[in-house]
Order: sequence, then C-alpha cells, then structure tokens
Amino acid sequence: MTSSLSVDRPLLHRTVLANGLVVIVIENPVADIVSARVLVKAGSGRELRSHVGLFSLIASLLTKGTQQLSSMEIAERVESIGASLGSDASADYSLVSLKTVSSDFEDVLELAAEILRTPSFPDAELDLEQRLTLQSIRSMKEQPFTTAFNALRLAMYGNHPYSLPGIGTEESVARLTRDDLVTTHQTYYRPDNCVMVISGRIVPATAIALAEKYLGDWPTPEDVAPPLVYPMVPTISTHQAITQPTNQSSILVGYPAPSVKDAAYATLKLISTYLGSGLSSRLFVELREKRGLAYDVSAFYPTRLSVSQFVTHMGTAPENQSAALEGLRYETERLAQETLTDEELDASKNKLLGQYALGKQTNAQLGQLLGWYEVLGLGVDFDRQFQDTIRAITAEDVQFVAQRYLTSPFTVVLGPNA
Amino acid sequence: MPATPVVVADVWVNAGAALEPLEWTGMAHFLEHMVFKGTERLRPGMFDYAIETQGGFSNAATSHDYAHFYMALAAEALPTALPYLADLVLHASIPADEFVRERQVVLEEIRQAHDDPDWIGFQAMSEQVFPDHAYGRPVLGTESILNQRSPEEMRCFHQAHYQPENMTVVITGGIHLEPTLEMVRHAFRAFPSRPDGLPSHVGRIDSWWGVRRQVLQVPRLEHARLMMAWLGPGIDDLDAACGMDILSTLLAEGRSARLVRELREEKQWVLDIASSFSLQRDCSLFTLQVWLEPDRVDAVEALICDRLSALAHHPVSLAELARAKRLLTNDFAFSTETPGQLAGLYGYYNIVASAADSYSYPTRIQAHTPSSLTALATSFLSANAYASTVLLPVS
Repeated sequence: MTSSLSVDRPLLHRTVLANGLVVIVIENPVADIVSARVLVKAGSGRELRSHVGLFSLIASLLTKGTQQLSSMEIAERVESIGASLGSDASADYSLVSLKTVSSDFEDVLELAAEILRTPSFPDAELDLEQRLTLQSIRSMKEQPFTTAFNALRLAMYGNHPYSLPGIGTEESVARLTRDDLVTTHQTYYRPDNCVMVISGRIVPATAIALAEKYLGDWPTPEDVAPPLVYPMVPTISTHQAITQPTNQSSILVGYPAPSVKDAAYATLKLISTYLGSGLSSRLFVELREKRGLAYDVSAFYPTRLSVSQFVTHMGTAPENQSAALEGLRYETERLAQETLTDEELDASKNKLLGQYALGKQTNAQLGQLLGWYEVLGLGVDFDRQFQDTIRAITAEDVQFVAQRYLTSPFTVVLGPNA
Repeated sequence: MPATPVVVADVWVNAGAALEPLEWTGMAHFLEHMVFKGTERLRPGMFDYAIETQGGFSNAATSHDYAHFYMALAAEALPTALPYLADLVLHASIPADEFVRERQVVLEEIRQAHDDPDWIGFQAMSEQVFPDHAYGRPVLGTESILNQRSPEEMRCFHQAHYQPENMTVVITGGIHLEPTLEMVRHAFRAFPSRPDGLPSHVGRIDSWWGVRRQVLQVPRLEHARLMMAWLGPGIDDLDAACGMDILSTLLAEGRSARLVRELREEKQWVLDIASSFSLQRDCSLFTLQVWLEPDRVDAVEALICDRLSALAHHPVSLAELARAKRLLTNDFAFSTETPGQLAGLYGYYNIVASAADSYSYPTRIQAHTPSSLTALATSFLSANAYASTVLLPVS
C-alpha cells in the first residue's frame, strides 16, 4: 500500500557550526526564491503562568529595534527590496523567517542575524506592542470558536503552560517588563539552541558560508538552558456551557492525547485524518453530508513536545447542539468498539500521506517542517520515519489507541442557549 | 513545471452570483455545493472519496464573477480523475433529497458568517457601494430566499450558464501540453442543453458625489471598524488597475507604508489598518479597513481623507515608488511557486480579463511614474466621494 502522491525530497545538507548552530540546506532551483528560517527551541511552553505571552512579545519586538537599527529602519530595509522578514512564537519554539528573491538573500540574512542576536527592545516600541497585544487579546472574544477553544484548553491543561493562549492574557501581558524580555532572550536565543533552515535557489556551499559569516561568531553562553519540566494535566473531564448571543453554537470535544514522541502519535494523526480531514472524512460525511448539521466540521491533533489534545469540533444551529455533541462523540468513540475496514484504513493512509506531500510544496513549507522536526529533537529523518510508521499501522493499532485515548473527553458548548 | 509531481486542474465558470435573477440570490453558491452531489454516473461523495484516497484534494469557491472547482493530485492520476471532475461540473444532477439536505449546510454557512463582524461589515459596505448592482448582494444569499428555491430552478441556472463559452479549464504542473489538451477536449465535450432564456439581474453601477456613511451597532464587538471604499477603474484599463495596486501598497502594505506608519506606529490611533484593491469584471473596488477604538473613528477618517488629498496633489518620491513596485513584483513572483497558485492566477485573470494579462502584470507595475499615480489618486481616491461603513459595539 503506497500513496500515489509523493514528493521526492530534494537533496538535503545538514551541518553543525562550531558554536552549536544546526544548519540545514535544501537546494531547490525551481523558483527564483530563497526562504530561510531560524527556529529557537523555546516557546510559550517555557512560560511561567505569571509571564504568559512572554515569547510572543519577544517575537513581536525582535523586528522593532536592534543595537544599530530603529524599528522603521528595519522595516524600510526589508520593504524597500520587497522581501519579508517576520518573527513568531508558538508552543514549542520561536521563529524568525525570511523570504527573498535569490539576489537579495544575503542582505536580508544579515539583517535577520542582527535582530536575532542583538535586539534592543526599545521602551517606546515595547509600550506600543504591549498595547496592541492587549487589544488583540480582546479581539479573540469576537470569535465564538476561539472563545470556546480557549475554554476547552484551559480545562484540559490546568496548570500546564499550554493552557493559555500564546499571545498571553490581559493580566499577564500588562505586567511583562523589558527586563523579562532581555533575560529570556539571553537565556534561550543562543546558537546551540537554534536550528537554521535555508531552502530554495541557492548552492549548499554558499548557504553554509553565509550562515557561517553572519551567525558563526554568535557566541555560546557558558551556562546551559534550564531543564524543561511540565506539570501534570487534569485527568477528570469536564463539560462547560458558555452562553453568548451567537447565531451558531460552537461544539468542541477534546481528548487528552500524547506528545509527538509517543508511540501512539502516528496512529492518532491517522485517526484525525480519518475522522476530520477533507470532504470524504467520516465526520464530514456523517454529520454534514448525511445530516446537514454543520458547514465546518473537523478534527485536529497538534504536534506537541508535551501532552497534546485530540479535538473534534463543529458549528451548528442552536437547536441542533445536543445532536451535534452526541454525533461528534459517537463517531470518535465508536473507534474503540469497532475495527476499521481495510479499505477505510488504506484510504485514510493515502489521504494522510498525500496531504502530507502537498504540505511540502514550497521552499518555506519544506524548510518549516524539517526545522520543526529538528527542534523537537526528532531530526530531519523523522520526515521519512513518520511516513513509514503511517504505512505500517493496522486496524488493531487504531482500535487499541482509540481505547486508550478516545474515551472520556472534555467538552464545551458555546451558544445562545448553551 | 517539470519539478513538481503535483497537478492542479481548476475549472473556472463565468457563473457567479452576478448572473442570478434578483429573487434567486445565493443560487450560484448553493449550486457550487450541489455540484459535488453527483451525476447519473457518480453517486454523491464518490468523487471526493476517489480523489482523497489517491492522496489528492478537491474544493470549490464562488464569488460574484465566478464559481470554480479544483483538485490537486499526482500527475499520473489526472487521466482518471479529470473526466470525473468534468462530469460533476457539466452534469450535476441536483437530486431533490440532497438539495433539501445541503440547504441546511448552506444555512449553517450563513449563520457562521453572521457571527463574524468583519463579514457583516464587508457585506454592509458592499450594499452601500453597489445599491443597484449584484455586487451589493450577498454571495451566500439569505435564509428566506434559499428556502423558496427548488431543484428545478437550480438545474435551470446550471444548464443556462455551465456552457463552453463560459468555462476556462486550467491545468498546471508536471504535464505535457498535447496529451493534456486531448484529455480536456475529451472530458469537456458533452454540455447540458440550454434552457430558454433565464433572466439575470446584474443591475447598474453609478458613481456618486459626497460621502455615503452608515454606522452599524454590532453585538459582541470588542473594537470598532472603519471601512472606506472607492470605485476603481474597469478591466478595460489594466494599467490603471495596476496603478491602484501600487497606491494600495504605498498606503498600507508593511510597517513603512504611509498610513501604517503614521496611524499605527507614530500616532498609535489604530490597532491595525489594511488596504485592498480587488479587480472585478464590472467594477473594481478600492478599500481601506481600520480596526480602532470607537472614539478615534472620526479623527482617523478625517486624517485618511487628508492624506489621500496629498496623494492627489504631491507626486510620490522615486524611492517610495520603487519600494512599492518591488513589493508587488516580488509578491507576484512569490505567488507563482506552486501549481495551485498558478492555476488560480490564470483562471481568475481569464474570468475577469484574459489569462495572458496575468503575464504582463510586472511590466505594467514597472511602467508607473509619480505623475501617473497622482492622476489615478485624483480620478479614483477622492476625499469627497467615497462610502464609509462604521461598526460600533452595541452601547
């Protein structure tokens, strides 16, 4: 059984500079584009509860000033050559990424190295970003799904750092100080804690020489980053009813699920595809096509270094919310009782592997995926291993994993008569 | 594109919401849903299952100017899959029971849209800008109209418009021209027979003098919205349209753009500001959208008007122009990396103008000068003739 859609990966070069920076180069001459990213092995999963939003705020300030350049000078340098340079933080890593036409790559790389190494976190820019962040946190309340998802996450994660939105809370962000940013940047933004991926129209030797030129003399601090210890997550599931005057009710069902390093990871990814991915997925066919209960109905299982969650969700008319919750649970939990047919299993594998291949079409997508595997400590070869593991999954594996993980969910219903 | 094993087939049909009779608002979009409900040869869901179990995916979208149906899959699967896609698009059987069931799905889509303040704002603004034209009507339709429609009416709309002169098939990826053309000729040969004349109600677009302003109170709103809109040049003047892209970029694309820099970074009056220029067949539209606190709305609107007047009176510097040109031409290059992006680009251009016009985009951008932009700002971005829609939290 193989997928009929697979994309051969271009040749990949991996090297480690003397200061510990991992550099991965993927030469892909198809388009006149070079994409590069530096992933830092630390994100909101490292935050204390009192400091939620810290890594996100650091990311938004990296491009707002360095020891040599002001915020506007950085913006002008990037925008005047039509490049993009961005920074972001997520649960398990932070990211600086850039994209240029090939001939501009060195200019923007030089700038990216500067913002990574010597951001100045100017007070005025910090004030502005803090205020904008507080407004964005308020914006989340306009979106029913986000409000419901935030409630689900809080219930499922308790004191775990994944429990709160990466952007932070109104209370925590208001309290963050410049010292917090400077100290945390020093602790985690260091070459031996980073992975750089360069992909596109560039010769590997040139790419590595440029990485060496701009990041090779980035010194490695003596001390080591503190060990990562996660608290336990709640084990007793809850139901939350949130009343809001919306037109649709949002229904979310979340099952505590293991990290990417667990043996059940690939199987749960396959179950997520079977249930919730595409127009032929089980939830789509049973709840939308046959019963007309929803427009959006889907499932997701994020790849996480620590405990993850397996979530199914839909939006439905308020009068259908009980049927929707029951339907979502029935279709998922049925997998612990019944075995998938060979056809269902093969179809799901093909779908997952095909979509996986389609998700690696651009330089940026491929670079992101491989860099992410590297910062998760799985290595670039996980790309191949994961696909092999998927191919080997049996119907019994699916049932076993469903019995173990997909039985007692946390649930949220948000709507006018929740 | 020899390096990619992915092929995208994208069928664009000149059968968007603009062709609907007035009392059929929402029909084009509802039909897009029903196309996936099978034909005499394909049971509902069979196509999706076949594509997805081969590792591909399919989807569709509808706007005022078009409906399009696409799939991405492995190149070697194209000969088997293309006839199925063609069969769906050409011979949708629109079964009555599926019609009733799928209508519930579309009504859910409408409910979901009504929970999104930005959708509410955009819809209100469209009605204000195009009060007598189809562009002012919601593509999704309304619950009361959809509940009165029948499968027979939908078949009539389908047969009237899903005809060869209205269709563009785009195929991109690692394929050879001649066999692919042959495949398309074979798959797209038997079109439905045409019903007797079906009236459409596209209406007319009138420019106006003065400021059309509306203020809506929206529940669950955390920030106010200010949306300002101007009618743009037509597709008969693509040079001007490209110039509007430049103006949009230098006003609000990136932190060093004029309005972002002044309003977000320096004065700090807004949470965010974005501009967009959309090329449509009957009339293009230039919009500015601002997220801000309610008590800043008037000051921001006045400042924007002032800055637009400046744009009409003082030529932009060569450096600022060069920056905008480079951003746009690079964006153009960045958006032609995958077969899916290319198929979308060519198909869309062929619907509103012609596919060949997409190639000339970078050249048209490069041809603009400070004085050509001053002229465009004078003609199209008047501070005295525009529409503004303001959304405020319910007080």
